[in-house]
Amino acid sequence: MKASKKIIGTLAIPVITAAVLLILCAASGKSMIANRTGFNYFTLYAAIVMITTMALSINLNSGRFDFSLGAMAVLASVLSAKITYGLLSGGAGSAALMLCLNVVIGALLGLVSGGLYVTLRIPPIITSLGVTLIYEGVTFTITGGKYVMTEVRNASMTAFAGNWYWPALIILAVLAFIIYLFDHTRFGYDYKALQSGQKVAVNTGIREVPNALWCYVICGALMGVVGFLNVARSANINGGSLNFGSIGIMFTAFLPMFIGGYIGRFSNDKVGYLMAALCMSMLNSTFAAFSNEISASTQSIINAVLLVVFLIYLNNEGLLKKILSPRKA
Amino acid sequence: MKKALALILALVMVLTLAACGGSSTDSEAQTPADEGDKTVKIGVLVSDVSGEEALGFRAYYEDYIAKNYNVTFTYTEQLEDAAAEKAAIEKFAAQGYDAILSLAASDRATQIETCEANGLYYAVVSGMLDDAQFEQYKGNEHFVGQIGPSMDTEYEAGYAMGQYFAQQGVKTVGIYGAFIPNPMHVYRTAGVLAGLGCTYGGASDKDGIAGQLFGDQGVDMSKVACGDIQIVGYFQGFGDTTFDELFAIIGQQPDAFLSVGMATTFFADSLNGANIPYSDIDSFTSGNAANMADGTLTYLAGKYSSSIGPIFAATLNAVNGNPIRDAEGNAISISQSYLVATDSATFDSIFNGDKGDSPIFSKDVLDTVIGAVSYDDFVKLVESK
Amino acid sequence: MDNEAILRKYKLRQKLINILPVAALAVLFTILVVTVQAKGYRLDMYLKIVFNEGVVLAVVATGAVFIYTLGSFDISLGASTLFSATMGVMTYNATGSLALMILVIFGAAVGCSLLSSVLASVFHIPVFVTTVAMMSVLSAIAAQIITTNGGAVGGISIPSALVKPLDNMGFKIAALAVFWLVCFFVFSFTKIGRRQKFLGGNPVCAQLTGIQVNKYAIIAFVMAGLGVGLGAFLTLVYTPSVTATTAGSIGMNIVVAIVFGGMPISGGPRSRIYAALVGGFSYILLNNILKLLIDSNIGYGVSQIVSAVFFLAVVYVTGLNYRSQMLPR
Repeated sequence: MKASKKIIGTLAIPVITAAVLLILCAASGKSMIANRTGFNYFTLYAAIVMITTMALSINLNSGRFDFSLGAMAVLASVLSAKITYGLLSGGAGSAALMLCLNVVIGALLGLVSGGLYVTLRIPPIITSLGVTLIYEGVTFTITGGKYVMTEVRNASMTAFAGNWYWPALIILAVLAFIIYLFDHTRFGYDYKALQSGQKVAVNTGIREVPNALWCYVICGALMGVVGFLNVARSANINGGSLNFGSIGIMFTAFLPMFIGGYIGRFSNDKVGYLMAALCMSMLNSTFAAFSNEISASTQSIINAVLLVVFLIYLNNEGLLKKILSPRKA
Repeated sequence: MKKALALILALVMVLTLAACGGSSTDSEAQTPADEGDKTVKIGVLVSDVSGEEALGFRAYYEDYIAKNYNVTFTYTEQLEDAAAEKAAIEKFAAQGYDAILSLAASDRATQIETCEANGLYYAVVSGMLDDAQFEQYKGNEHFVGQIGPSMDTEYEAGYAMGQYFAQQGVKTVGIYGAFIPNPMHVYRTAGVLAGLGCTYGGASDKDGIAGQLFGDQGVDMSKVACGDIQIVGYFQGFGDTTFDELFAIIGQQPDAFLSVGMATTFFADSLNGANIPYSDIDSFTSGNAANMADGTLTYLAGKYSSSIGPIFAATLNAVNGNPIRDAEGNAISISQSYLVATDSATFDSIFNGDKGDSPIFSKDVLDTVIGAVSYDDFVKLVESK
Repeated sequence: MDNEAILRKYKLRQKLINILPVAALAVLFTILVVTVQAKGYRLDMYLKIVFNEGVVLAVVATGAVFIYTLGSFDISLGASTLFSATMGVMTYNATGSLALMILVIFGAAVGCSLLSSVLASVFHIPVFVTTVAMMSVLSAIAAQIITTNGGAVGGISIPSALVKPLDNMGFKIAALAVFWLVCFFVFSFTKIGRRQKFLGGNPVCAQLTGIQVNKYAIIAFVMAGLGVGLGAFLTLVYTPSVTATTAGSIGMNIVVAIVFGGMPISGGPRSRIYAALVGGFSYILLNNILKLLIDSNIGYGVSQIVSAVFFLAVVYVTGLNYRSQMLPR
């Protein structure tokens, strides 16, 4: 593929999305991102979407469905918030310490989840149901079902949320790490081999169990970052989710995952996830600008319709091209 | 063969379960507890286990009332829907409870009917039935009554908040409608708009504005017309776009940010940081004390934790055979107003006056209405605080 | 040990594992009875409560077995139940006709199911993603209708006297028994069930033998729709009102119920029509037992943890016969 086609293919969807949404906003006398604060939160949301999408896709692309992503993010945040507050009492460096702890605890939670999967050898979707319930239960037990607020409200967290370059830096760091790990290491090659042909890969000597475990650890660490970013965004953690109340976060990542996968054909699927996250964040900012005209219910419907329409295109691309291409005489 | 055996076993189990359950008849209802040393068992239905107000209420019942009276409180988990509420009541009935206090509102009509069917006394805590529903159930023997802000009170709370800022001379405001179409938030928002001197779709009265807000599922800014005050932004709910909407408003540096609920939980940090005066209808908690003392919270209308004391007293009376009924023999219905603080001193006096072992509705106060007491005396006490 | 002894031992183990879900139901039932008796509570009432809590889940999950047998996964059934009940209430309030209300409930339920099925089979969209989109759309539409019409009460309802005569064990047992027997017949004694198991077990092979995937997928979704319709009606019989959160927990509990009942999530020949009935009631019994044994607010978190561990243990043991060398997906 030519470089120009790669660039155009990679940027087309975000550019078209931006153009359409900017025109919509301009036509209604609104602005998608009104000021620097708006841009800070645009970047923060893009980071959340991109990293959640990556975490979802790592296991889903290998046929492993994981409902526990949301529960992992919340539990990692609760634990790290409590520890950080215990150590620094909300003082300087709280955000940095909490981020580090979120990553470590998230990775450990991922390890537990993956460990259960490889030990019990029951379908990952079932394991993830059990793990979701367990993590939600632990979170509820620690918080007593209350919001965690005091522990996460401090100048350090406010400074983090108030500067777009911190989330941007996290986006770049995560993107570089994930691209390196999955595209340039032995682990990544094994992952791809297992993804495209599990039986053949195992028969050729690839060790599936450690690879799967690492996938869960990475997922957990990524969701730890997402948990931290969510805390920075909302300045509280809801500790009262029980009975699968935490799985909603996963569904928001479906549309960017498919869009990212499509963009990935022209460059790299991880870059695709970033582009898709930017699209979702632009859409989110536009919804915010139109919040008086578009209710939350309507937003849900628009997101769902976009998902279905995009998938119809994606899964019938060949047919559509055939129909739309000029017939030969 | 083995499949058939498994099937038969499963069916027998389920049918036994059903058949045993089916043998219960409504006539086997609980009898009122005898007066005396018997511990009165009260089940509490809750739909919010996390909010500051809910936690304050719970602490008052469990840590103060339960220690001072021969009574136990059992809280449900977070009840998500009407079926969960009904099942919770039935479980309390099966466990021999005497009464139900309800802080859950998915289907209060079914709650009352279920309590009646199971012989449990029932009261609405810190809230009110819709007028038509109250008319329907007020004569019900097991319906003790309701004490809390009525929809009129909610409207008035919003109105007072709007009026306060209008009188302060604000020119630009942002508004958070919390969880519209939750009825109390609808009425509060209607009140805020009216208090600011705005009309909505041409209406300036409670029912005119609230009716349209229900239909619009929120505030349609194109229908808002205000005098001198400009509403720079409005949003509601809590989702992915919430903080974008908040910061779109903060970016315009309004003179005040008016919230009809939950702002102190969700946005206190951001508003304090942006140095924008804000208001909320919430509760008198230590967090809000700090927001008022060190932050920019300038107006708080709230309930105090022990405001749910009188409805407990009325329920205890009913269980002990001293029901309080009005002149027509109907259940209690008393609207309770919010207390308002606009400075730290007032806030602290309310907050400190209703803490731990010295609540506003203390044992001494409640004892004056426990036992045989007239409806008028009871109303007088509730309205005195 | 000779081969025959090994075979005998294997068969015995297989038999024990196969009856484990039913045995678990029996054990849980016994524990509930003993616990309720020991605590001096009213057993007759408790059993009625458990039946009421389990019947809607059992009905909807029994219909869903047809979808799961195909190896598909439908997460929208809770939202469909809410949507159908909402449409039913709106119909009754507009027409005053109970018959029309029932017709609309079943029509809406089957319609939603068919829409998912058509989207998935005609446009080749993954079933799970289709149902995620359907879940968002149906919940949003139902919420919009409920909140617009609910006014100050916050929900919509039909007169309780209308369905009160049906709120008894006799009617509910009959409804459950009739629906279950119809499903049992279709699943076990017609080619529909056999072919669906074949499709779930080996779709490529099944298609090569001439089995039409779309036809059997549509039948599966229609059966699930009927279950949803009956579930929505039984929901209204128990509580004649609908709020935006009605039936919110059913969606995920269906998966738990089916797996708890001993059916593999991958469907295929090991699918069992009784799994939903057994698993649904087992799960409800387990939750009730734990709530009886573990008091206090924090206890809800702990009881969810214990419930999840028990769930994973049962699934682990019931899957012992089907371990492969590779990790399951």
